Amino acid sequence: MKRKVIALLLASTMVLSMTACGGSGGDSGSSSGSTASSEGGGSGDNTLTVWTWDPNFNVYAIEKAAEIYAQDHEGFKVEVTEVLSDDIETNLTTAASAGDYSTLPDIFLMQDNSFQKYVANYPDIFTDLTDSGVDFSQFAEAKVAYSVVDGKNYGVPFDNGAVIAAYRTDYLEQAGFTIDDFTDITWSDFMEKAKVVKEKTGQPILTSQAGSPDLIMEMLQSCGASLFNEDGSVNIVGNDALKECMEIYVQMVEDGTLVEVTDWDQYVASLNNGTVASSINGCWIMASITAQEDQSGKWAITNMPRLERQENATNYSNNGGSSWAISSNCDNPELAMDFLNATFAGSTELYDDLLTAGTGAIATWSPAKESDVYAEPSEFFGGDAVNSKILGFSEQTPSNVTGPFYYDARNAVGTALSAITQQGADMDSEIEKAQDTVEFNMGG
Amino acid sequence: MMSKGKKFFQYAFLTIVSLLSVFPLYYMFCGATNKSTDVVAGRLYPGGYLVENFKSLIANQDLARALFNSFRNAIVLTFLALLICSIAGYGFEIYHDKGKDIVMTILLMAMMIPFAAIMIPLFRMFSTMKLTNTMTAVMLPSLSTPFLIMMFRQSARSFPHDMIEAARMDGLSEIGIFFRMFIPTMKSTYAAAMTITFMNAWNNYLWPKVILKTNESITMPMLVANLLGGYSVDYGMLMLGVFICTVPTAIVFFCLQKSFAEGITGSVK
Repeated sequence: MKRKVIALLLASTMVLSMTACGGSGGDSGSSSGSTASSEGGGSGDNTLTVWTWDPNFNVYAIEKAAEIYAQDHEGFKVEVTEVLSDDIETNLTTAASAGDYSTLPDIFLMQDNSFQKYVANYPDIFTDLTDSGVDFSQFAEAKVAYSVVDGKNYGVPFDNGAVIAAYRTDYLEQAGFTIDDFTDITWSDFMEKAKVVKEKTGQPILTSQAGSPDLIMEMLQSCGASLFNEDGSVNIVGNDALKECMEIYVQMVEDGTLVEVTDWDQYVASLNNGTVASSINGCWIMASITAQEDQSGKWAITNMPRLERQENATNYSNNGGSSWAISSNCDNPELAMDFLNATFAGSTELYDDLLTAGTGAIATWSPAKESDVYAEPSEFFGGDAVNSKILGFSEQTPSNVTGPFYYDARNAVGTALSAITQQGADMDSEIEKAQDTVEFNMGG
Repeated sequence: MMSKGKKFFQYAFLTIVSLLSVFPLYYMFCGATNKSTDVVAGRLYPGGYLVENFKSLIANQDLARALFNSFRNAIVLTFLALLICSIAGYGFEIYHDKGKDIVMTILLMAMMIPFAAIMIPLFRMFSTMKLTNTMTAVMLPSLSTPFLIMMFRQSARSFPHDMIEAARMDGLSEIGIFFRMFIPTMKSTYAAAMTITFMNAWNNYLWPKVILKTNESITMPMLVANLLGGYSVDYGMLMLGVFICTVPTAIVFFCLQKSFAEGITGSVK
């Protein structure tokens, strides 16, 4: 009896470990297939591996691009692995720290705001694209600037993050305004009108995620200002643009025209539930707005307000967006460059498809604007041709310095902002604290 | 005897607390059956959108593969980890000497090192051994954990030595004693260890994400994370994903609940 039990246990262990081996064998089989193809290089190899996220947006885009490219390049295909933006960054850090780049894909997508940090810290990951044949002048200038380090291009711009101001026109009407009253205006004008909207409709004009300085960063970029100087040093204390932005924000919170919500989900909820009259955000916010189909026709899009004290103030800014990079592990960089050049930097067919397929991905590549698809009116946004409008916005967006410590600075400003709005802290001392925090992080 | 009033408050308190802890689960279930915009609007009762959510979930992600991978990884890992750690724990306690105490101390100290600190060396090790993208690489680092060894060592302490002596006299081999006597007596410890290991294996995210780079090796937590990646989130679909990801661990826990409590407190029947 006992022997039977032992035999049974040992046998089951073996079976299980064999299935384990079998499973891993299968996995390594498929992976060795892909490494073989990426290591193969040479002329016969036509497969590129890609890391990106979001099946409805980026994954769709790169697969569609591959489909278009394959029309003239027989046998070409991409192997896409779905990896979240944060995880791509973790994987890049791990690979670079371990000094082993062999696990990297040929092409990966990177958030624009992270680009400078990764090129500065791990330059060996990237392939220089300056002479890749991509005509960077056809992209919005500010967009290209995100992936340029020391005059060299490391990324092919993809989706648009141009800031839009989307208004509930029915609320504006109740307050006696039209969308034109909110176009090309200044912040002080906006704040006065916001009070009227609040009085007439009872709704705040803006909501904002507490502790997240998205709005401040957008305002800063709208006049080309940044939290860093050209030489990379921190520019928080004595930054008049930053102070103006923060003063506007704090004043609006006091007026009750800007309501802080606890998290991103609450922010989206305020838009969908009609508890706010507008949203000033990257144009990708449209996907969340249009999710509430009942509100079709009740929204309109225009540009954001501009600052007053700043010399270079504009009504245009940027929030989010990403660019494609080619890794140093790519064995056939010519193919990868040609692929990106022929599609994301050269195919109106691709950008048209991305719009008609409903991905919501708007180009930063100027020639895309000429196509009929971009000029088509959007019923949801009151019959306006929003897509070409937004592409136009991105062309006028000023560029600013992001730098490797962008997120440190951004977080420090967010902390300062919530200390001021929620605990009534003094603005100047909080700004000083933010500067100290960032300088400490940079020194460490 | 407790007075009636006191008892009333006790029950009232417990009812409120249990409602509070059950509510998120209920909300998750409701979310899974509602449209994204309804979830955002905070609808608190089940809707009729479950099938649509399921359809968009399987269109969006490879659910079957993720479930298969998660189950396979978790079951194989749990089985092997329990076997290895219980033998180790048993050995540390029954064949006790000074040297082993020192080894045990070192093991316990290893428990203090956070995973993030050893991630990069581990990655380097596995990539040198050409083990990236394999199930072996996912499981090896958590096959033997100091916590499980300690747990089995502690429970082996309550295992009566007289029984071992008696079994030896009767001519049962040392391996026989372990499999024939120790394992059946320690069922509740195994149940507790199983629950913990299964949950950890099921929920493991960071390491698999670093070491596995193909779509084929996706697991449930990765699938749920993928649902959150876009510019706009379909909350109904997300809630359904989370729901499906939660159910297996909940079932394991409920099945082993009784033994789990016993095993954690270290009682022997």
